[in-house]
Amino acid sequence: MTEGGVTEGEATDLGQAAPEVTAPRRTSPLIVLVHTVTFRQARQVVPAAIPVVAAVGVDGVGVVVALVAAVTALSLLFAALSWWRSTYLDTASSVVLTRGLLARSVRTVPNDRIRGVEVEAPALHRLFGLVRVRIDAAAGTLTGGDEEVVVDGVPRAEGDRLRTSVLTHRRTAVTPAGTDPSAPLPEEPAEEELARFDRRWLLYAPLVASYLAVPLAAVGALSRLLQELPRDLRPDVDGPDLTDVRVLVASAVVVLVLLALGAVAGAAVVNWGFRLVRRGGSLVAVRGLLTRRHTELEVDRVRGGALVEGLGMRLVRAARVNALVTGLGAANRRGQLFPLGPRAEAERLLGVLVDDPGPLTPHPPAARRRALVRAVGSGLLVTAAGTVLTLTTGFWGVLAAGMVLTVLGVPLGRGRYAALGHATGPRSFSVRSGLLVREQAVLQRRAVVGWQVRQTLFQRRAGLATVVACVGAGSGGYAAVDIAAADVAAFTEAASGRWATAAPTDSPG
Amino acid sequence: MSAAPAPPVHEPAWSLSRSAIWLWVTQGVLGTLVYGVLVAVFVLAVPSSVGGPVPVLRWLLPALVAVYAVVAIGIRPFVRYRVHRWEVTAETVHALTGWLSRTWTLVPVARIQTVDVTRGVLQQLYGLASVAVLTASSQGTVRVPHLEVGVAERVAEDLALRAEQVRDEAT
Repeated sequence: MTEGGVTEGEATDLGQAAPEVTAPRRTSPLIVLVHTVTFRQARQVVPAAIPVVAAVGVDGVGVVVALVAAVTALSLLFAALSWWRSTYLDTASSVVLTRGLLARSVRTVPNDRIRGVEVEAPALHRLFGLVRVRIDAAAGTLTGGDEEVVVDGVPRAEGDRLRTSVLTHRRTAVTPAGTDPSAPLPEEPAEEELARFDRRWLLYAPLVASYLAVPLAAVGALSRLLQELPRDLRPDVDGPDLTDVRVLVASAVVVLVLLALGAVAGAAVVNWGFRLVRRGGSLVAVRGLLTRRHTELEVDRVRGGALVEGLGMRLVRAARVNALVTGLGAANRRGQLFPLGPRAEAERLLGVLVDDPGPLTPHPPAARRRALVRAVGSGLLVTAAGTVLTLTTGFWGVLAAGMVLTVLGVPLGRGRYAALGHATGPRSFSVRSGLLVREQAVLQRRAVVGWQVRQTLFQRRAGLATVVACVGAGSGGYAAVDIAAADVAAFTEAASGRWATAAPTDSPG
Repeated sequence: MSAAPAPPVHEPAWSLSRSAIWLWVTQGVLGTLVYGVLVAVFVLAVPSSVGGPVPVLRWLLPALVAVYAVVAIGIRPFVRYRVHRWEVTAETVHALTGWLSRTWTLVPVARIQTVDVTRGVLQQLYGLASVAVLTASSQGTVRVPHLEVGVAERVAEDLALRAEQVRDEAT
């Protein structure tokens, strides 16, 4: 029930191992101000407050001011209480967090379950010189969706101490016994820089869908806001004459330029000052303009990497790289090792993560036929329906759409086939697929925890099969789509081991 | 399907319990009953004078239910029984499932994390149980449906024990 009992238990448990264990710590009191402004704790009372406000009614400036003051005071109270009731403690064996206003919760994360530590500094935190430390625990260690442990609002120096301390403890917990536990903490090992962001790479941003979405979302939010404004506050502007072609072209150009600028700005905010270094047994990535993110991954847990290229990125030979790490939640965000840059650079980085298995083998011609049939088939179906409709009712719209779809299906199917490929090397293997977003996964042999081979009726006829390498990292499975059925056994054996053929063994079962 | 080419993988050796056929038949009957009731309600409640596609649907839906009944009761259980195979060797667990599309899953014993045995309501009627062999990958799960309860429990126990002995910590 009390925090004291737990911390004592921890202290006796670790005994001689940690001379530097101290009392549980609180975060910096300055975080109360940050949380007051962001309503971090007071947000929970908003649903309860709305009916109250509705009953009282909002009229007059006085009431509004009083409301704002009351809400701020409430927020301050909640933030202060929650700060006062929360502590954290890092010991040689685990990290212990205590929190809760009335119901106390004590969360203990053993050090050997910690996968990485992330130090981030949102803009408001930076104003007060604070950081937020996220500790990633192995998926499944903690119940519920809360997979990470957050210490929000410690001074920068304390954040760095916490990170080093947790990571050092984890290493000593992993290394075999025999090392002198009372020895001073080892110095941070030398850093080796693997990648550094070049500002010119921001020019790729307008061709990346996820960055393009940023300005679009902003425009959407702005137009919503404009509609919410009272009519007399809205600027009274005459709409442009949309019948004039020159006006149309000019506005289209302006919109495109603004979109591109927005995408570049969005990419800059997220990726500013990106650096990837190897420090001892960890990969450390730092990036971000407003919120500085500091992500640390263990090299031992890396099982491979994925080279991802969108349609637009392929035009300019750009790519990004995700590391595939076992037991990492939110893998897409935290596993991102190379956010955006030239393909050659991305390939070099991928080579650092995992051995290059060599050039990809294209899939058999039957795979191209299948891709084409699938892409054209839907168009043909619409065309057939359209033909019936044209003959019966004289409406030709569906027929035209079907024909366009059919014609478009040809490049679509070809593109899909061109993306397919697989390769096996002495210590790694690779599969690639995807039309809009082409993803090439390169995996170590030891990454494979199982194989799944799928054959639909049509694949069986065409002598094809889809082979999924099941991996305890990333999305959980990476597929070689439509490889020749006769090659399946050879591929799985070359990519993982003798067991993968599942041929009856000589030894008794 | 007569000229089906050689399977891309080694076929597991053991088939499921024969009771599985009757369980699938029961499932087909239940499914047919549900669809049949729905369609009967539709035919009785919606007169063809409503217009639109209703006159066509009034004979199309019962026909579809009839086709479903034939496939789900008369064909699918038997095809499934012939397709489904499983085997546990010294190093691996593998299973072949499906009826039109086929899925073959293979997991080495060293990478097994947990083994689940589940018994549904219908399965209890026929004395059957399903075994699921789970790994660190969400996609790497070998599911063997409808084994006799005794067999399923023996397999689960044996696999859990062996996985314990040869567990490979690197997931």
